[in-house]
Amino acid sequence: MSSIEGSAIKKVVVACDAGMGSSVLLTSQLSKSLSPHGVAVEHAPVDRIPEGADVVLCHTGLVDRARKRAPDTVVIAFQMFMGDPAFARLEQAVRDGSTLAE
Amino acid sequence: MTTQQSGSRLASVRSGVQRFGGFLSSMVMPNIGAFIAWGLITALFIPDGWWPNEYLAELVGPMITYLLPLLIAYTGGTLVHGQRGGVVGAAATMGVIVSADMPMFLGAMLMGPLSAYLMKHFDRVVQPRIKTGFEMLVNNFSAGILAALLAVLGAYVVGPLVGAIARALGTAVQFLIDMSLLPVVSVLVEPAKVLFLNNAINHGVFTPLGTARAVTEGSAIEFLIETNPGPGLGILLACMLFGSKVSRATAPGAIVIHFFGGIHEIYFPYILAQPKLILAAIGGGMSGVATFMLLDAGLISAASPGSIIALMAVTPPGGHVQVLAGVAAATIVSFVIASLLLGFGRSERRAEREEKTQQEAAEKQENNR
Repeated sequence: MSSIEGSAIKKVVVACDAGMGSSVLLTSQLSKSLSPHGVAVEHAPVDRIPEGADVVLCHTGLVDRARKRAPDTVVIAFQMFMGDPAFARLEQAVRDGSTLAE
Repeated sequence: MTTQQSGSRLASVRSGVQRFGGFLSSMVMPNIGAFIAWGLITALFIPDGWWPNEYLAELVGPMITYLLPLLIAYTGGTLVHGQRGGVVGAAATMGVIVSADMPMFLGAMLMGPLSAYLMKHFDRVVQPRIKTGFEMLVNNFSAGILAALLAVLGAYVVGPLVGAIARALGTAVQFLIDMSLLPVVSVLVEPAKVLFLNNAINHGVFTPLGTARAVTEGSAIEFLIETNPGPGLGILLACMLFGSKVSRATAPGAIVIHFFGGIHEIYFPYILAQPKLILAAIGGGMSGVATFMLLDAGLISAASPGSIIALMAVTPPGGHVQVLAGVAAATIVSFVIASLLLGFGRSERRAEREEKTQQEAAEKQENNR
């Protein structure tokens, strides 16, 4: 179980299979709430998650591939594309600098 | 073997298949814009198009024969070995392209990454040994010679082989159509989609197969099998009316994103949360494919994303009613099955009632104290 301090989160990568569909949708949603806190949100294919990501978000169905690709990064899995508690957890950690654990 | 072990093995097989499929689709998906350009030009300017124009129709052949396979090969090569891999992959793919009398998508998906892989290994061995000052000479000529050799190999060996495989796959699909068995394909496609193999299936399998058919017959049913938004729409509608409290709240937004935005992933979680709903997706998918087959519906080129807008944009003139009929049939069947499976919301209502009475009882206790 890896974790990260909310204040250390500078770059969040949302990953999906192609990095073109659902991840883009979530990126535009999340950057609205996270960019005021100086956090960059990007999207990527799950097999090509870029270096330097502090947190990776992806669906539970893809989480094995994300962990393999970015073993040292905190990977947060979500179930629903809308209103999943994982997004609220991330937003809260960024807002008050609390610890975010997988 | 314990269930946990078999579970983790299953997960690793699943992520392996996902990764392979993801690789196939990642060669195609960045190039969808070019596919759409080709589809629009075809729909507009061919003799039975909206606006026939003999001169502009000359674009159709070269784009499908050369541009699209070369883009796929270049992208596949780049994924393996950067721009250098892309260049070698594209040049080598010319061999399979000239060897065949059909658009060589499968050949490009093979030759692009394979050539780049060989280049990568050559570079790994040779580059550290190059004498100072000769790097550019060696690098340019090694890429050039390898690409030329692989193009010749492609023209004589790989091309005919891949051509035979592509023809066999096309014949297999035709056989399924002739035997009226094509709807059975949904039994595999719909569950695989929900396991996040949707791009792999559509762009790894149906796009190459469909493009070959679309060139000879003007349109292809293959483009409609995975992209039909009907099954997902039916499930989301059922969840909106009869699902749990959370589903009811989120489904309306999901419907817009799914049906108009074409992002099918948005309905997968509703099925993963209640796996029995996969029966609704399969039933809806089968009815959709059956309707497409009976009405002879098809699309000119790949519809991506699977939005109703994208489907309509690449439907040939005079084919819109047939496509809409298949989408509607899939939606209705999937909605009815999903509603039955959700018990028309009876169990949800009961659970909510119980929760309410419990709450009231708790409040009463609180008040009594």
